[in-house]
Amino acid sequence: VIEGGEGIEGTMTFNPFRIIGGAAFLLGLLLGPALPSQSQTTATKTREHVQTLASDKFEGRLAGSAGERMAADYIVSELTRIGARPLPGQKDFFEPFDFTAGTKDGGSTLSVTDAGTQAQVFISAAQVQALSFSDSAEVAAPVVFAGYGLVVPDSQNFGYDSYAGLDVKDKVVLVLRYFPEDADQKTRSILARYADLRYKAMAARQHGAKAMLVLTGPRSPNAGATVPMTFDTALAGSGIVAASINGDAGRAIFAGAADKNLESVQKELDSANPHVAGFAIPNVSVTIKTVVRRETQSGRNVVGYLPATTAPAGVDHPWVALGAHYDHLGRGGHGNSLASGDEAGRIHYGADDNASGSAAVLGIAEALAKQPRRRNVLVAFWSAEEIGLIGSNAFVTKPPVPMPQLAAYLNFDMVGRMVDNKLTVQATGTSAVWAKILEQANVAAGFDLVLQPDPYQPTDVASFNAASVPSLSFFTSTHTDYHKPSDTADKINYEDLDRVIDFAAAIVKRIGDTPEAPQFTKVDQPTETGGGRAGVRIFTGTIPDYATNVKGLLLGGVIGGGPAEAAGLQKGDVIIEIAGQTITNIYDYTYALDVLKIGTPVKIVYMRGTEKRETSLTPAARK
Amino acid sequence: MFSTEGSGLFGRIFQSRRPPRKFSRAAAALIVLAVAGALVFEGKTSAQSPPATPAADASKEREFLSRIRRLTVEGRRAGEGYWSPDGKRLVFQSEREPGNPFYQIYTLDLTTGETTRISPGIGKTTCSFFRPGTDQILFASTHHDPKSKQYQDEELAFRASGKERRYSWDYDPEMEIYVYAEKTKALTRLTNARGYDAEASYSPDGQWIVFSSMRDAYNRTLNDAEKKQLETDPSFFGEIYIMKSDGSGQKRLTNVTGYDGGPFFSPDGKRIVWRRFSENGLIADVWTMNPDGSDQKQITHFGAMSWAPYIHPSGQYLLFASNKLGFENFEVYMVDAAGAKEPVRITYSDGFDGLPVPSPDGKQLAWTSSRGGGREGQIFLAQWNHEAALKALAAAPARK
Repeated sequence: VIEGGEGIEGTMTFNPFRIIGGAAFLLGLLLGPALPSQSQTTATKTREHVQTLASDKFEGRLAGSAGERMAADYIVSELTRIGARPLPGQKDFFEPFDFTAGTKDGGSTLSVTDAGTQAQVFISAAQVQALSFSDSAEVAAPVVFAGYGLVVPDSQNFGYDSYAGLDVKDKVVLVLRYFPEDADQKTRSILARYADLRYKAMAARQHGAKAMLVLTGPRSPNAGATVPMTFDTALAGSGIVAASINGDAGRAIFAGAADKNLESVQKELDSANPHVAGFAIPNVSVTIKTVVRRETQSGRNVVGYLPATTAPAGVDHPWVALGAHYDHLGRGGHGNSLASGDEAGRIHYGADDNASGSAAVLGIAEALAKQPRRRNVLVAFWSAEEIGLIGSNAFVTKPPVPMPQLAAYLNFDMVGRMVDNKLTVQATGTSAVWAKILEQANVAAGFDLVLQPDPYQPTDVASFNAASVPSLSFFTSTHTDYHKPSDTADKINYEDLDRVIDFAAAIVKRIGDTPEAPQFTKVDQPTETGGGRAGVRIFTGTIPDYATNVKGLLLGGVIGGGPAEAAGLQKGDVIIEIAGQTITNIYDYTYALDVLKIGTPVKIVYMRGTEKRETSLTPAARK
Repeated sequence: MFSTEGSGLFGRIFQSRRPPRKFSRAAAALIVLAVAGALVFEGKTSAQSPPATPAADASKEREFLSRIRRLTVEGRRAGEGYWSPDGKRLVFQSEREPGNPFYQIYTLDLTTGETTRISPGIGKTTCSFFRPGTDQILFASTHHDPKSKQYQDEELAFRASGKERRYSWDYDPEMEIYVYAEKTKALTRLTNARGYDAEASYSPDGQWIVFSSMRDAYNRTLNDAEKKQLETDPSFFGEIYIMKSDGSGQKRLTNVTGYDGGPFFSPDGKRIVWRRFSENGLIADVWTMNPDGSDQKQITHFGAMSWAPYIHPSGQYLLFASNKLGFENFEVYMVDAAGAKEPVRITYSDGFDGLPVPSPDGKQLAWTSSRGGGREGQIFLAQWNHEAALKALAAAPARK
């Protein structure tokens, strides 16, 4: 994990908050040995599940790979043994879905035609490059410059619309990347939320534009550079042609507006004055052709159920669902691996993430299979979670069992590394009944429970929350082996994993036996995870140590040649203040990044051992 | 994310056995952060720990406490869990009654996990205690006040407005001590004096009740200085009283200015432990005395807010909470029964840890803590290592 606040522009579906966002991740890293076992629980079966799923043979269970298919086959054999059945109307336990495993530019081109002269053509990736979510198509049209291309929704009561007074219907819009450079802090924090390129593309499309070209302005970081193509799991384009162009291409277009100079136009916009308007560029037309190659693969959710033992007549919402993703990172080729050095490219075993959760669901199902039930118990194993909750999304989008029939969904993601009896339960805000149910069940289970009401977690529970299903997600916190090849089966705390299984089984039983289903409560999404954030373009070269929680930000290291190193910071330092803002945790740090300006030095106060020191750090631009 | 509009964590948690005042709201937010930090620290190995941060000491809790678990989950907050004499239940206060923003009293069955409200559900309640040898439980309540519902609605409306009152426990003069019989569900009022009567507990034989009362502010003519005092801080008038279990024979035991409260009997019934505040309400210490009020002895001398004492069933030591290490950081300590030695620290968690109550067999400890990550306190439970406690007390240096 490098640098809080890092995210990837234009990859909303990817899941950057797996790394930066979930409170549990930021606060919850735990290290160290598990508690000595307290009971004589036989963890044999659980251990077997984890060891099998996290074995060399399954090669890290990358969605769409042979390893994923073998893992699914193993789960099916276990479901069959337990006595689960395919869902009603399904011939087997497999629920396949397609997803995009990678995106490449297949040779996008731009030609700019000045009236009367010949066309200038841009063909290299350094000159023009499709955005990863672009449609593949060709558009020839006049150009309208729409400033930063920002539209702040009316609901924000802010009043900033780059399209005000512009007619872009059937045109190509040219917009600047990022948001006004000289805006004050408050304005930046609002505009930053709508500066994500996907959001800008949506705004362009909604105003009738045929294509959007993005130019990184001369006054912005990464001036004149194209936007690198990022990993995007969307199956299809976003309904508009969208490409980034370099400074030369931008100037060629701007030549068509005789009295306009790109630099001064940007400077005027950079004040964030909402009355600075865009304009048509009368004397050129462009032809933009985007070619986006998406590699489509197929993944498989494994879903079965334990039928109710008494007819569910009179039972409200006759299903209760359990799920865990069983896919992992394969050899870590998708950019979400945290392996470095010798570890890179090796099998990422994913024993905790999420063979542990898969084993938990199997274990709970096995326990429940022996008991009477008034509700059907749906048992699900998701694939392609690691590349953006794709399997669970596919399921809730086309559910084989109507979502309103689910009384509840319980999710298990990384439940095998319990330390010190601490169990985090997430999404508890999705129903008012959870507190009572958890309290009652925990008297016997005896966990040091940590509750997080937020359902917008980087795991499949988010898909079910979005489908308005009352949900819980169980989690034993992350660790230094997270998303590395060293997340292996020998490090799992099987005793406590079995306790989680018993605890969850008691909760499912209670939900399953109670005629009234939990009522869903919508939890407001925290705005900070809502859209693009300004901090994502700031590079400070710090490596926060997420595995600790001193007051302040403990540096696990600094990136060689980066601003932090230049400022004299080193591993072990604890940053306690940036630019006058007190830093007590990683959140404070990421928010502080939002208001930093590239190239403007800021004062950093930090602790080295017991000594309080100060330095000046000059943030650079993230590439 | 962490609102500074938060309720005062303090005061809210220990609403009754001692509500400290004058805590800033901002401090509550700090605590929450700190608590989150402390939570994750416990699992760290020393090799990976950064040098000398207070939270890094969290593993020291394990010397005396193991298998720490969170007992209450529902509701905004809960606290003051007291054991039934058989150790199979707790009685506690929690803010979880729909439509009532104040504490009500609940029993928790430690076998089934079921909770049952035993208080009327309306008004404010606090400070419950099982009566040994009976099916009775006492607590203090204002439900007889015709304005109870109005106060509830006002508080709910106030909260709905998005604001939260800077907390001050109002020492409602309507607060009176009641006893509830579980079999008949009958509720009997034991006190009638104008002024806050609460913080009550039984003698081990169930025949006596010690409690705190502010009746002194209402049963005589106050001078001007005292009248002003009553307006700003009625707890100034808090004194310890004793009565028979039927409410008869009420007798005052303390007579020193400043808030005296939170009294409990020793396991042999021969002493009463309580906490006494300085006149300005900023410093508190633990004292013990005979049940007739004689032989009052100061046990703690931290010069901080040391309160919520409770004597271990062995009678050898008592547990209490103190903010010795920082105004906003309450920790549980223990000290030998005579106070001859320096107290030993028990908890290592930023934020609030207090109201420690050992189980009747002396092997478990229930206490109120904000370590669960929210702003508010909840009840936690852990195995208590009595042998390690005795060893640590034996090794403690003599009091300076």
